[in-house]
Amino acid sequence: MSDTTAPRMRLTVTHELVLLIALFVSLAVLSVTAERFMSVGNLLNQGRLMTEVALVALPMTFIIITAGIDLSVGSMFGLSAIMLGVFWHNLGVPLPAAMALAMLVGTAAGFFNGLLITRLRVPPLIMTLATLALYRGLAEGISQARSVRGYPEWFFVLGQGEMFGVPTQLWILVVAIIIFWIVLTRTTFGRSLYAIGHNETAARYSAIKVDRIKLIIYSLSGFMSGLAGVIFVSRVSTTRSDMGTGLELDVIAAVVLGGTSIFGGVGTIAGTVLGFTLIQLLKNGLALTGVKGDATIVVIGTVLILSILITNFLQHRRGGDG
Amino acid sequence: MLRTMTLALLAGVFAVPAMAQDRWDGADSLDTNPLACDGSPGEMAMKEYDGGQPATMSDKMGQEITLIDVPKLVGIGYFAATTKGQAEAAAELGNVNVSTDGPTEANIDDQITFIDNYITQGVDGILFAANDPVAIAPVLKKALGEGIHVVGYDANSEPDAREWFVNQAEFNGIGKAMIDAMAEEIGADGSFAIVTSTFTTPNQARWIAEMQAYQAACHPNMTWLETVEAQEDNNLSFNQATTLINKHGDDLDGIFGMTSVATPASAEAVTQAGACGEIAVVGLATPNAMKPYVASDCVKSVVLWNPVDLGYAAVYVMRAVVDGKLKPGDKSVEAGKLGTLSVVNGSEILLGAPFIFTKDNINDFDF
Amino acid sequence: MAAPEATTALAPTPRRRWVPRIALSQELVLFLAIVALFVVVGAINPRFVAERNLQSIFLGNAYIAVAAIGMSMVIISGNIDISVGSLIGVLATVSGTLAVAGVPIVLSWVIPVLLSIAFTTTMGAMVAYLRIPSIVVSLGFLSILKGGLIVVTGGAWINALPEGFHLAQMKPFGIPMPIYFMVILTIAAALWMRLSATGRSIYAVGGNAEAARLSGISRERTVVKVFAIHGFFVGIAALLYATQLAIIQSTVPPNLELTIITASVVGGVSILGGTGTVVGSTLAAVLLAAIGSSLIFINVSPYWLRAVQGVLILVTVLADMWRRMRQARGRGR
Repeated sequence: MSDTTAPRMRLTVTHELVLLIALFVSLAVLSVTAERFMSVGNLLNQGRLMTEVALVALPMTFIIITAGIDLSVGSMFGLSAIMLGVFWHNLGVPLPAAMALAMLVGTAAGFFNGLLITRLRVPPLIMTLATLALYRGLAEGISQARSVRGYPEWFFVLGQGEMFGVPTQLWILVVAIIIFWIVLTRTTFGRSLYAIGHNETAARYSAIKVDRIKLIIYSLSGFMSGLAGVIFVSRVSTTRSDMGTGLELDVIAAVVLGGTSIFGGVGTIAGTVLGFTLIQLLKNGLALTGVKGDATIVVIGTVLILSILITNFLQHRRGGDG
Repeated sequence: MLRTMTLALLAGVFAVPAMAQDRWDGADSLDTNPLACDGSPGEMAMKEYDGGQPATMSDKMGQEITLIDVPKLVGIGYFAATTKGQAEAAAELGNVNVSTDGPTEANIDDQITFIDNYITQGVDGILFAANDPVAIAPVLKKALGEGIHVVGYDANSEPDAREWFVNQAEFNGIGKAMIDAMAEEIGADGSFAIVTSTFTTPNQARWIAEMQAYQAACHPNMTWLETVEAQEDNNLSFNQATTLINKHGDDLDGIFGMTSVATPASAEAVTQAGACGEIAVVGLATPNAMKPYVASDCVKSVVLWNPVDLGYAAVYVMRAVVDGKLKPGDKSVEAGKLGTLSVVNGSEILLGAPFIFTKDNINDFDF
Repeated sequence: MAAPEATTALAPTPRRRWVPRIALSQELVLFLAIVALFVVVGAINPRFVAERNLQSIFLGNAYIAVAAIGMSMVIISGNIDISVGSLIGVLATVSGTLAVAGVPIVLSWVIPVLLSIAFTTTMGAMVAYLRIPSIVVSLGFLSILKGGLIVVTGGAWINALPEGFHLAQMKPFGIPMPIYFMVILTIAAALWMRLSATGRSIYAVGGNAEAARLSGISRERTVVKVFAIHGFFVGIAALLYATQLAIIQSTVPPNLELTIITASVVGGVSILGGTGTVVGSTLAAVLLAAIGSSLIFINVSPYWLRAVQGVLILVTVLADMWRRMRQARGRGR
């Protein structure tokens, strides 16, 4: 086993190095071009802004490692946000309970994805493409396109407040990153994800409970989307059924930029963390440099392609030498 | 299991539409306030200034200032026109730098990020058109807290999150203008349908709610058929308008377009269906997009304020705020070629009544 | 699971002489669904099946069907293209800009198609030779095209298009042009996929790249070819999109890529590569459009419209899975 994992470890380290170098180069350049970029206040604020994408990118990393995908995250995000408003405002559930229920709805939505993917063998991309439409439709139908506003002050601590000088949701993100990192690197569960991604049939034969694991990660994706949705509601003080539209592409971009292979079997939490950090800092730094938003997305697209290209090139060359 | 699942879902589909079809009327928790049918001005309640104030008073009186404009989205004709007006005002004033930057889709999250970045970058003032009045409030309050002046236009935020809002036309004014224009074309007992962007877009929702209230009060015999969503998408708007025409046939007398995308697309649908003269199109739109349909007599009236003037006024208001010429409690403000604009509703500056473009005047405008 | 699929892939002819359950192909399922939809909704509101509405459904969505043909080939080859919506937006703008600038109209039609082929071929080459996964390449290009378009145009709409530019509005023999494109291109693509060596190699590469390599098919060259052909269909789709209305929006149509991919997968194209047909994807595009229109006709509450649409997509997908399972079981016997 160690023989087969060793080269993979080397390869992923290489991509992370590429990213790390890209990150440092960007930081260096941007801190020169935009004098206000390199301040603790700005960087912490960027952490606040990227938390939602980051939280969803963590389970997405697990899913893509198993060669799956979840396109419905933006819709689960929106559905959970709407349910928070509906439970609290329309049904009179106390807000803390409504928050828990909203996340439960997200989890249930993810569980439904997982159930049909494992039991009925619907390919994940097709299944989540269908629920992308379905969950968004449910959010609109249930909310009757109405916003829910007027949340109590204490609720905004989650999305707008600070704890020990750091945005509250950033603490949640750090804890989540650590948990996901431990699970992926230190547990059988984590190793099983790679095994499934490499060769699902072989994984089944080696007594890995493939279906149960898949059910768990898709539910987890729903749960994290729900959590991110609740945090987002707290950050913007309102709920709308169109929240999180297009989130899936931002999340997938962060994960694949982080070096997780869409073919499965390869990927790390560190890579994903570098991925979403790099995207956020580029967006921010370029804006502070005076680059406009439309040009910034051009840069991000280019970075995405180039980073993978460079890694491929390095791996290929080393492969040739060996 | 698979078959059971499929059948259960299919059964569910038929259960859902069984719920009574509600006519969407822009429902939200806010009250409507329809104008009088004959256009006599209603009692304007005097309201105290309810805007916010920056934490520190700026000392840029008469000096060069840098402004950033963050519209709902970039890449549509409407906000290209407001940008043009801002540039005109800046050129006239000579001591204002203004540039526009914003999301490529009308997305509340992206818009917040843009404003946040410009707060960090450090500007003297922020002009905005909100995608959501509540969602944008925290970041605007943050700007005020940093001593940055904040003025809105086109789409408001919560009042205390900005200093002033340049209001192109009151919601109820738009509602009245639209319904009256339609009634004139299709008669007091005509029936109409609406093509809007999405049900969640605040301005459109408020306009439709006001239209509904005004129609019920002043043209009770008109029939309100239905409202369909079409995003900000040209082809989808065309398809939806065509579907409405095919569905209602002769029962449909008029279509309202609620966005500058939906109105020309609806006019196109009517034209391609060969129903010009039979189905009226009334809507909010920019004149350039509507010229062909107005020229062919397919569309008689286009309702809109002048977005170039709107952008222009926003920059003048901002300049007046920085120079201390517009303070809480003031009743009017000077806005260059637009003359004196009056303050309404506590902290809003009214651009004027909505403008009706017709065949006679539409060629005088280029935006 | 991969093995039986690969067999069908290499011999895609449905074996109709066997018991009906085996003959139940996804194309047939979709066709029956379309017929059922028209019968049921037509019974509720006869105007739904009026010739005018049928024409509108086909006409207004032909560009989606045409783009879905190319997308299906890309997916069958085991790849995907998420940038397609942005590309259509860019090409439509190019076409309109050329026409307004006074370039001969035929050139303003042809140049975008050529540009499209050049662009997707480049993308295909990056996927094939540089070995970047197609989802990464196209995700990157999605951003580049979308942002680039606004940088260049500033979002100014194109109007005052010259007389004769509106290809999609022409009606030879009383039938709108887009319908010709949709039908002819679907049939041509289906025949080509089935009869030509290249067409069949697409299935082979998507189904089992290793086996394909052993049987002398170059994965790289096949992928580049698939993307080039995909570019042709995207170019035509962009043309239909651009010439349908009097105004070109010069922005990227929202979520168009998802609509196109949905048409392909609902049409029975396996996302794992190796199976599916372009006839299925065209039927699916028609079905999805008809569903969207029919829900308005039968007065579904507008709030629930999207949810119902989502359920119907899910039902179609599940019906396809059900069919496949039965087929697999039938073959096992």
